[in-house]
Amino acid sequence: MFLTPEIIALYTLDIIFLVFAFFAFVISVQIVRYWDMDSTDERQYKLEKKAILAATIIKYIFVLKIPLLIFFAFTCDKISGVITGAMCAAGVVNSVSFGLELFVFKIINLYVFGFWLALHVKDMADEKLSFTKLKFSIFIVAFILLVIEILYEISFFSSLDIDKIVSCCGTLFSVASSSSFSFIFKIPNPVVVSAFYITFSMLIIANFVKKDSIFLIANILFFIVSILSLILFFGTYIYELPTHHCPFCFLQRDYYYVGYIIYITLFMGTFSGISGSILAMIVPNQKKSFYKTSMIFNIIYVLIVSTYPVVYYIKNGVWL
Amino acid sequence: MNHFLIGFSISSLLRRGSKSFFTIFIFTILIFLLSSILFISNSIKEELFITLKSLPQITVQKLQAGRHKNIEISKVDELLKLNGVQSAIPRVWGYYYFERAGVNFSVVGIDSFDKQYKKSFQQIVKDTDFDELSKNNTMVVGVGVKRVLEENYYKDFFNFVKPNGELKKIKIASTFKGSTSLESNDIILMPKDLVLEIFGMSKDEVTDIVLEVANPKEIQTISKKIKNLFPDTRVINNSDLRVSYQNIFDYKSGMFLALFIVSAFTFFMIVYDKASGLSSEEKREIGILKALGWKIDDILKSKFFEAFIVSFISFLSGIILSLFFVYTLQAPILRDIFIGYSRLKPDFDLPFILDFQTLSLLFFLTIPLYIAAIIIPSWRVASMNADEVMR
Amino acid sequence: MIECKNITKIFNQNRPDEQSALKDISLSFAKGEFIVLKGASGSGKSTLLALIAALSKPTLGEVIVDGKRISKMPDNFTALFRRENIGFIFQKYNLIPTLSTYDNIIVPMIPSNPDEKELDKQVDKLLEMFFITDKKNAIIKNLSGGEQQRVAIARALINNPSIIIADEPTANLDAKLSLDFIDIIKKLKSENRTIIIATHDPLFFDLPFVDRVIELKNGEIVCF
Repeated sequence: MFLTPEIIALYTLDIIFLVFAFFAFVISVQIVRYWDMDSTDERQYKLEKKAILAATIIKYIFVLKIPLLIFFAFTCDKISGVITGAMCAAGVVNSVSFGLELFVFKIINLYVFGFWLALHVKDMADEKLSFTKLKFSIFIVAFILLVIEILYEISFFSSLDIDKIVSCCGTLFSVASSSSFSFIFKIPNPVVVSAFYITFSMLIIANFVKKDSIFLIANILFFIVSILSLILFFGTYIYELPTHHCPFCFLQRDYYYVGYIIYITLFMGTFSGISGSILAMIVPNQKKSFYKTSMIFNIIYVLIVSTYPVVYYIKNGVWL
Repeated sequence: MNHFLIGFSISSLLRRGSKSFFTIFIFTILIFLLSSILFISNSIKEELFITLKSLPQITVQKLQAGRHKNIEISKVDELLKLNGVQSAIPRVWGYYYFERAGVNFSVVGIDSFDKQYKKSFQQIVKDTDFDELSKNNTMVVGVGVKRVLEENYYKDFFNFVKPNGELKKIKIASTFKGSTSLESNDIILMPKDLVLEIFGMSKDEVTDIVLEVANPKEIQTISKKIKNLFPDTRVINNSDLRVSYQNIFDYKSGMFLALFIVSAFTFFMIVYDKASGLSSEEKREIGILKALGWKIDDILKSKFFEAFIVSFISFLSGIILSLFFVYTLQAPILRDIFIGYSRLKPDFDLPFILDFQTLSLLFFLTIPLYIAAIIIPSWRVASMNADEVMR
Repeated sequence: MIECKNITKIFNQNRPDEQSALKDISLSFAKGEFIVLKGASGSGKSTLLALIAALSKPTLGEVIVDGKRISKMPDNFTALFRRENIGFIFQKYNLIPTLSTYDNIIVPMIPSNPDEKELDKQVDKLLEMFFITDKKNAIIKNLSGGEQQRVAIARALINNPSIIIADEPTANLDAKLSLDFIDIIKKLKSENRTIIIATHDPLFFDLPFVDRVIELKNGEIVCF
C-alpha cells in the first residue's frame, strides 16, 4: 500500500465523516425513540435542538461529498500513472475486486444524502415538524450506507498494489474481459439505443400524466439505461472509436471535459425526478415543480449524448 | 446571496478582531507550510520527469555480490541480436569524488563515433571535436562543475587523481548547459579513453550498456529476456525509475502530511477551545439576535459565513505567500528536505508549476477540517436559551 | 390577542436547584392594550415576557397569539413569529456599539434578505420620527444616551410589529429620558399596537393611558 498526499486527504476526510456521522446517528436513534412534538418536556426541547445539529452535520457531509467524488476520480487518475497497465481512473478502480462496488456506493450515497436534504427542507417548512421521525429513521439507513462506503474506500486504497498489472479501460470495457460487469457487452447496440429512447419516452409520458409513482420508476430506469447506453454506445461516439467504452476518459481535457456536463445533467435530472416523486408521495398536495426541473435536465442530457452520433453520421456518412 | 448576512458576519469577525486575527494568522501559516511542501515536491518531480525522459529505455548493468561491476564490452553484440532491440550503446562513466569540495562529479565518456543516447550530448558532440579533446587532454564541464572548481581555485583545468595515485591534468575546453538544471550541474564530458584512464578501467570493459527498443510496449518483455540471457545482470528500465521516483516523492510528501495533520489537529483543538469558551459579550449578542427574530439556522449561517471568510483569507494568503517563497525566493531550507545533501548541491531553479489538482488537494486538506472543528461550538452557541437576555 | 392559559414555568426541573418562576398563570390581552407588569425582581415578570415572545417554552400550559399556538411551535417558526410581530426594547438597549445607527436598526430584518431600497425608506421614516436623521451613519458609541435610546426603539419598530415588549426600559435612565420614553410609548399606543412593559418604575403605574397594571409576586398574580 502506498500513501500519496491525495489518499491521506481522502482518509482524513473519511475519518471526519465517520466521527460526525456517528454523532448524527446517535441523535437519530434518540429522536426515533423519544421524539414527541406534543410533549413540553425538557427532553423534547433538547431533541429539537439536537435535530438541528444533526441536520447541520448531514448538510456538511453532503456538500463535501460532491466535490470529493470528482477528487476521488482525479486521485485514481493520478495513481494510474504508477500502476502498470492502468491508463486512467477506470483501470485503477478495477484493479481492486470491489472497486466498482465502491464507486456504485458513492453514487448511491449521493442520491440518498441528497434526498435526505430535500426531505429536511420539507420538514422545516412544516409547523408540526411531522417528518422529523421519518427523516431520522432514513438517516439511520444512510449512516449504515455511509459506513460501508467509507470502509470500502479505506480498504480500496490499502489494497492498491503497484506490482499487480491491471487491465486498462480498453480491455476492461469489452466483450472479452471477465470483469463483473462484462455481461453488459453482450447486449447488441440497437437494443440498448432503443431502450434508451423508450425509457426517455416513458419519462415524457409520465411527465404528462403527472403520476408520481410512474415518474419515479421512469427516472430510475432512465438512469440505469442511460449509464448502460453511455458506456455501450454514446461513449464510443464521443471517442469516435468503436472499442473505447470507458466512462472516465471523457472527463479529461482531451474531450473538453464534456463528461462533467453529461454526468451533472444526468444526476440533476434523475435526482430531482426520484427525490421529487418520493417526497410527493410522502407529502401530498405539494407543488410539482420537480417535474419541470427533472425534465429540463434529462432533456439536456439526451440532447447532448444524441448529438455525438448524429454529428458523426453527418460528418462521415456511416455509423461506427 | 444575502449580502446583509455576509456583511453582518464580516462585522462580527471584526468585532472579535484579535481572536479572528489569531486564527487567520495560524491558519495561514499552516497552509503556507503545507502548500510550500506540495509546490516544492511538484516542481522537483517535474524536473525529475524531464530528466527521466531523456534517460535510456533499458540499462543493463552487471552485478557481483549484489554490487555493481563493470560489464564486458562483448555483451553489446549479443544484446543487439535480441529481437526488438534497436541499438545497444556501451557507456563509460562514473563518479569522481572531489575531496576538497566534498562533492561528486559525474564523469561521462564520449566517443564521437558512437551514437549518443542523450540529445543534449548529441548537440555537444556536434559542436565539439572530441578527437581534439583526446589529443589535448581536455574536457567539457557543466555549469555547476565550473562553479565548484572556481570556488576551489581551479580556473581552467583540473587534476584528477588516478587509482594508482598519479595525477592526470585535464584542461577545460568549454562549459555546457543541459536541458534541465539537474542535468548540467555535476556532469563532466570527456573522451572515453581519458575516462578509462582516470578510473583505471581496461579497454574491454564498460560501465553499463543502454538499449533502445523499437516498441516501447516491449520493454518489459525484452528486460525479462535479458535477465534470462545474462543472469548476472541487473536490468533497469525507464518506467521502473519513474515509478520509484514517484513513490519516493509521494512517500516524502506523505510523511510531511502526516506531521502536518498532527499539527493541524492541535491547531483545531486550540480553535475549538477558544470557540467553545464564548465571552459573555458573544452570548449576549446571540441572545439579542434570537429575541429580534433570528432563527437558530440564521445564526448558524452567520457563523459558517465567518468560518468561510476566515478560511478563504487564510487559504489565499497562505498560497500567495507560499508561491512567493517557493518560486521567487526558491524555498531556502525547505527544499533541502527533498533534495538531500549527498550530491553536489544543485543550484537549480524550481520550475513554476501550479495546477488545479494541487490546489484542490490543498483545499481538501485544510478547509473542511476547520469547518468541521467549528460545527459543534457554533451549534452550541446558536441554540443556547435566549431567555437569559431578558434579565 | 394574546392568551396565556395555565402557564407554569419551572427551571431545572427534577434537580436540587429546581425553581418555579411562574405558577399556573392565566391572562389575556386584547389588541391595542397597554399593560404594565409590576413586581420585584424574581417575581417572574421577565419569564412571562419571554414566554409571550416565544423565547422560551412553558413547562405546563399554552401561549396563544392571534390564534397561533406559539408555545408549541419549533424554533424556526417562533423566530419568524418574533420577526413579524414583536418589537423588543431591552433594559440596556443592547445595541452593537461599533456599528452605525443604520446597521443596528436593520439587524432584525437581515435574515429575510429584504429589498435594499424599501428597507432604506423604512429606516429613514423611523429616523425622522425620532429626530435622529442626521445620525444615520454615526457609530453608536459616539451617540448620547438619549440618542441611543431612540435608536433602540427604532430598531424595535423596523419590522412594524403589532406587539411591543419592553423589560425595565427606564431602569438606567434619568428622569428626562424616562419621560421622553413615556412620550414615545404614548405615541405607539395611539397607533393601536399592543404594548407590554415589565417594570418597577412607579412612573408607569399612574399613567392615564395604561389599560391595566398586573402585579406578580413569586410567580403568581397578586392583583389585576
